[in-house]
Amino acid sequence: MHLGLDTDELNSCVACGLCLPHCPTFVITGSDTESPRGRIALMRAVQDDDAPITDELVRSIETCVQCRGCETACPSAVPFGRLMEGTRAALADSGRITPRWQRWALSMLRRRRLVLAGSTLLALAIRLRLVPTRRLGLPARMPLRRPALRTSGSDVWLFTGCVMDAWQRDVHLAVQRVLEAAGVGVEPTGATAPCCGALHIHAGLEADTKDLARQVMAGLSSDDRPILVDAAGCGAMLKDYGHLLDSDEARAFSARVFDVHEWLAGHLDDLQARQEVVPLPLTVAVQDPCHLRHVQRAHQAVTEVLRPFVAEVVNLDDDGLCCGAGGAYSMMEPKLARAIRERKTASVARSGASVVASANPGCSLHLAAVGLDVLHPLELVDQALSSVGTQANPNTVGVSAGGLGAAEAGT
Amino acid sequence: MVSVLTATRRVFNPLRRNHNEASASASNAVADTADSDDTALVADLIDALGADRVRADSAARYLASHDASIYREGNAGPICFPESTEHVVACVEAAVRHGRAISPRGAGTGLAGGAAPLGRPVVVSTTRMNKLLSVDVENGIAWVQPGIVNLDLSRALAPHGVHFAPDPSSQSVCTIGGNVANNSGGPHCLAYGVTSAHVLAIEAVLSDASVVTLGDLTAEPAGYDLRGAFVGSEGMCGVATAVAVRLTPNPPAVRTMMLAFQDVSHAASTVSAIIAAGIVPAAIEMMDQRCVAAVEDFAQAGYPKDAAAVLLVEVDGPAGGVAIAGEKIAEIAEANQAATVRTAADEDERARLWKGRKSAFGAVANVMPDYYLHDTVVPRTKLVEVLERIYEIVDRHDLIVLNVFHAGDGNLHPLLAYDSRVPGVRERVHAAGREIIELSLDMGGALTGEHGIGVEKRDYMNRMFSAVDLQQQGLLRSSFDPYCRMNPGKVLPSSHSCSDISALRASDAAGVWG
Amino acid sequence: MTDHEAAYDAALQEFAAEVGPDGPVCVRGGATRWALGGEPTSDTREVNAPAGVVAFEPAEMTVRVRAGTTVSELHQQLAGAGQRTALPEREGGTVGGALMVGESSIARLGRGAVRESLLQACYVCADGQIASGGAATVKNVSGFDLCRLLVGSLGTLGLLGEALLRTFPIPESERWVQLRGADPAATKACDTAASVLWDGSDMWVLLSGYEPDVQEDMNRLRDCSDASAPPELPSHRWICTPAEAVAFGDYATSVGVDLSGRNGSSGRFVAEIGVGVVHASVPQPQRIVASGVVELNRRFKQRFDPSGRLNPGRDPLKKT
Repeated sequence: MHLGLDTDELNSCVACGLCLPHCPTFVITGSDTESPRGRIALMRAVQDDDAPITDELVRSIETCVQCRGCETACPSAVPFGRLMEGTRAALADSGRITPRWQRWALSMLRRRRLVLAGSTLLALAIRLRLVPTRRLGLPARMPLRRPALRTSGSDVWLFTGCVMDAWQRDVHLAVQRVLEAAGVGVEPTGATAPCCGALHIHAGLEADTKDLARQVMAGLSSDDRPILVDAAGCGAMLKDYGHLLDSDEARAFSARVFDVHEWLAGHLDDLQARQEVVPLPLTVAVQDPCHLRHVQRAHQAVTEVLRPFVAEVVNLDDDGLCCGAGGAYSMMEPKLARAIRERKTASVARSGASVVASANPGCSLHLAAVGLDVLHPLELVDQALSSVGTQANPNTVGVSAGGLGAAEAGT
Repeated sequence: MVSVLTATRRVFNPLRRNHNEASASASNAVADTADSDDTALVADLIDALGADRVRADSAARYLASHDASIYREGNAGPICFPESTEHVVACVEAAVRHGRAISPRGAGTGLAGGAAPLGRPVVVSTTRMNKLLSVDVENGIAWVQPGIVNLDLSRALAPHGVHFAPDPSSQSVCTIGGNVANNSGGPHCLAYGVTSAHVLAIEAVLSDASVVTLGDLTAEPAGYDLRGAFVGSEGMCGVATAVAVRLTPNPPAVRTMMLAFQDVSHAASTVSAIIAAGIVPAAIEMMDQRCVAAVEDFAQAGYPKDAAAVLLVEVDGPAGGVAIAGEKIAEIAEANQAATVRTAADEDERARLWKGRKSAFGAVANVMPDYYLHDTVVPRTKLVEVLERIYEIVDRHDLIVLNVFHAGDGNLHPLLAYDSRVPGVRERVHAAGREIIELSLDMGGALTGEHGIGVEKRDYMNRMFSAVDLQQQGLLRSSFDPYCRMNPGKVLPSSHSCSDISALRASDAAGVWG
Repeated sequence: MTDHEAAYDAALQEFAAEVGPDGPVCVRGGATRWALGGEPTSDTREVNAPAGVVAFEPAEMTVRVRAGTTVSELHQQLAGAGQRTALPEREGGTVGGALMVGESSIARLGRGAVRESLLQACYVCADGQIASGGAATVKNVSGFDLCRLLVGSLGTLGLLGEALLRTFPIPESERWVQLRGADPAATKACDTAASVLWDGSDMWVLLSGYEPDVQEDMNRLRDCSDASAPPELPSHRWICTPAEAVAFGDYATSVGVDLSGRNGSSGRFVAEIGVGVVHASVPQPQRIVASGVVELNRRFKQRFDPSGRLNPGRDPLKKT
């Protein structure tokens, strides 16, 4: 079967194996079937030699977290993410992956009001203990009410997305406060740009993704303001529109997209000049979301932005290995996702940090589900800025601001 | 892939295990003919190991049929993922019962097809045997399982101020078991020696499913040096299940220098001059212009892309000597018309310089999609002449070569880069490869310095060794494995490898996807 | 005659002819360790390996030498180019003897083990033919490692005729120093110790390297004084682990040997710290070897020398 993959891209892998230790699934199973090199070899076998698409072969493709850690490790610059997305699209088209119910669920994400209402229902069900949160990898507590989004100016867009806006609007508001503290007027995208499409492309739904991309671009193209994104997965997706739609317009759009830390790193002076900063008395471990580190390659900005605002920032010792969240992956492949997460939590434990900063909602939910105290980096910055003049209390800092881990940590 | 790894105080001691060797040899009587399909074998393996430690589907077998070499004829049977010595014993017992051979597999980064299974054997993957079992500082060793990754081991040892010295370019992924099988080297073996010098004892499962510990922690183990004979045997003598590795103290001082030249011969003569001056650097690595250009974009090591050749020279040891040797090397380089002499200012710069070197093989895909790599060794005084003739050979065959190699010990790695889709190119690549090998041997060199013979170089063995030599090597192998069950068909040309041919009889006809 | 055989020189071919295809035979070198592992049976014919340095390439740091050459003579020639090998020098001891016995020098910490110095071996097999293992380069993994197998084999698998050995530069500065009443751990701080000998109270250290580093180590050791030579070594060589060497008294007791000096026995010993060799005035009891290892040793001997003609009576398992 022809997977529609670019032959040169497919052939750019020489099977050297340097990707293996950077693949979260290979590290767990030790099997080449769950490795980037192995997955590429299978794609090649299917596309070039017409190998049969067995269930096990499909599993090999499905188990990929799409973290793209292999890409940064690859000396040959194999565009693994693109190959994987292409393969999934071909498999989804032929009905081998992404069953109908998943497609239906994903199609709901663009319907913003439905997402918000559904999330409220879910939050209620969780309060009533009707949902086995731990088993489903859901947060132990979700907000029943959301403070409204508000516009404070028109310097930048703040991309709010779908699920994150419903589940973690607190984060958006904290991010907005930090930006405002740097003297920036913010307009949240809200209904203007309902969903980036990252989950869709992961599931192999290329046409749906393109639709969403066009919708987002249409909503945000009336001017050329920078588009700041506080979710690494969404940011990576928006930055990829240029390639996805292959048009000058899309490329110009993608060039306006910045991870909020990436952008703030260039405006740190504004932030520090406007306000006196008392660092929070915390040791914070920075968890690099894969789509920030391996895809956007902007992860160092998080440390840079965070450093002036907390007592100590520590980097984890696992070379940026994925945490296993992978968008919807933690729900689709719970067993592997949990095994992958164990390595991350062990690394966090070794770091000696009390709080984890994660710039991606999926990662923070996934990590908070095992009791880690996880906050968005800018939530910490926001706390540091707002605690000026008041005595910061190490016992309340970190868990007071609606941190996701708070409830489960039993505080 | 750090998997364990706090050093336990418990000292792992395979010498105390109680193995029943008599019962193992009894099982050899079983099964003279191989099963026609894998069903019963797989059932047995699952019975012994559990379903999640056995894979028998076509996708898994297809991938386990290959390593990082271009050899494509491998044919794996079921793949097992044992987690203990007992599991490995069970794999071998099942293989014996069903008349199958056994092929051990580590990370599959071998470049000579050594891990490409022939004849549909049971593949024993050691990737889940990746624990650091114990650190014994008093005896200067650590016991590890064979699947532990080379770099993970050194990282886990870092708190003790020691490391495992062999550092192949694939060290971030290759396993200690694979290092033992190939007697792996790496840049720093120039001063520190190859794997053989860093392994004191090996617990291995032999082809009769018996478990034996070769060597021990003493200065000179009694009897023949079985551990020395096992290292480098490419999986043909048994499956290593635990290895006692030597702990090498981290050097008190290190100096890493990058020397760039406008002429390859100036770089090569610098190498000879350094050795002749009585300096033994920890490493001397060389890359030619094409290689530098291919890796620089990825590694951003700061190599001058226009230089004809770049040398990486590292000296380590006590600070006084490092300073003296470093200055002498700079003088020698300048006397040999070096265009750049740069010393890494800090650990960060040093790491980047090495990253470039260690990613060279993978980076070749930036030039061409396929490569065929040789690993010959020549006397280091012949480097200039050999390099010139390699360029001449490659030009004549209208190919591209990237040279990246361990210049200090004369270990060449000419990478013939090509695109296999071009008609006739494979033939030219093989012809050029053969000429490079002939040239190296004519210069008094060796077929392979660290990648091993595997299947790729097997048929060149007659060129390097006499029939008597090969017969003697065959005796070493058959003393360990009289049944020729362990990784059959490798290293020795067919007429010298006991009954390997019959071990390969199993249903090879049906391909993996069959 | 094939190309390979033609490559062997006349001296080697004469040696092979002398060994011949049958009859028990052994090689006499300097006979410095003649009784190690058992003496040859009485009907054994003695032959001598050829002698002489064949080729020395200082810039390669290798030397090709015939097995009958004495180590002292070899080292004398190498010293001209400021190099030497890891082989121990014994009065009259030969290169072949040193390799077949396989005992490292007391400076093993600095110079490496004998087993690591043999790069290529040309030897006469049990059937009288010449075989060679290894390669003429400092690095080689072409095929199985016959060199490792031969070192320490007491000539029971093949009779060594010629060896290619690794050489290395003689360090700029080398000196023995002595410390009185020292703890073996004291030398851990030393970067240049090539040998550390300890007799239970005093310690002798061979410092070896660049002059500034040797000086630095002397400062670290503080109360050391120059010693002209290492102490005289008791005649029996024990093999143990480095940890057992540091606690040698306890180790000896654990294997049933009384080193207290009572009952008329001398308790003198000199331990090689960091290595696991101890020189004592009483012999080491036979080491216990696992049955699987004994069986493998038997198989090797049986395959390489089916008629048992090479050095009959000797057994590397019984070296102590």
